[in-house]
Amino acid sequence: MFRHMIAVQQVARRSICSSARRQVDNKVPQKQKIFQEDNGMPIHLKGGSGDALLYRATMALTVLGVGFTLYELVKASFPQKRD
Amino acid sequence: MAHQAHAYHMVDPSPWPLTGAVAALLMTSGLAIWMHFNSVTLMSLGLVLLLLTMYQWWRDIVREGTFQGHHTPPVQKGLRYGMILFITSEVFFFLGFFWAFYHSSLAPTPELGGCWPPAGITTLDPFEVPLLNTAVLLASGVTVTWAHHSIMEGHRKQAIQSLTLTILLGFYFTILQALEYYEAPFTIADGVYGSTFFVATGFHGLHVIIGSTFLAVCLLRQVQYHFTSEHHFGFEAAAWYWHFVDVVWLFLYISIYWWGS
Repeated sequence: MFRHMIAVQQVARRSICSSARRQVDNKVPQKQKIFQEDNGMPIHLKGGSGDALLYRATMALTVLGVGFTLYELVKASFPQKRD
Repeated sequence: MAHQAHAYHMVDPSPWPLTGAVAALLMTSGLAIWMHFNSVTLMSLGLVLLLLTMYQWWRDIVREGTFQGHHTPPVQKGLRYGMILFITSEVFFFLGFFWAFYHSSLAPTPELGGCWPPAGITTLDPFEVPLLNTAVLLASGVTVTWAHHSIMEGHRKQAIQSLTLTILLGFYFTILQALEYYEAPFTIADGVYGSTFFVATGFHGLHVIIGSTFLAVCLLRQVQYHFTSEHHFGFEAAAWYWHFVDVVWLFLYISIYWWGS
């Protein structure tokens, strides 16, 4: 009878715990392995293809941005009437 | 792989300083274009580039420290110096706005009626929402200290709870302040009172948002097991910044809200 009470208590505690929140696993050791691999990749690309995509998008915006700025500044330098 | 014979960190070549500098160029030129030609495209592009730069730069620092182990004690010492110097520079930034406030309020001109608050200005009651805001930020200073001790003692769940509470208090402050801004009987255009009030409290509010964001990133990192009980400098930097934001508010409250009312 006493053992049954303990068992119920344990089951109740377990079900409350597991339904409350999902556990986040510690993925740091896996990340450490990826980023310590001797593949000669610089840190900003070492995470994989996602890094390369984001880098290319950022660089594209950078180059386009410089061009756009120079265009706007040159346009602003001339005495043209704006709508 | 070649091994270094020193404890310092020689970083990999990185594109982010360049993209960050270009972002600054775009934002400043964009501001001028917005002021003169009513177009926000250039400035918005600059903002997007800034956000991309910040995300990738700080992501790389997390990789270098937590995943590659480059943040040895001497390196961490340098990071501490860096954060302290940055916060010091921010202190000077706010000092300027306090100077402006005291310059105008200690010797009010005849145009203001020779008094402070100026004639016609209905100030906010310092013992209503501003006092609540003070309590909220002071409480958040306690919760962030709780979070720090939790991390140092290895109490993962408590650290997550106290850090979350700190961030929620930060949001609560921001919401309360936004409502105050909406309800205020004066605007930024209402003479030097309006200017000093909204520029000083506005920049403070921006720093609350920045600080809350920094703490939120720390929360994500704490959940992902990045911090150890001995090594959690990212969190310490966020906590220092948060305390700085709190102290600035105390000065604002005493000077502008209380003495200035």
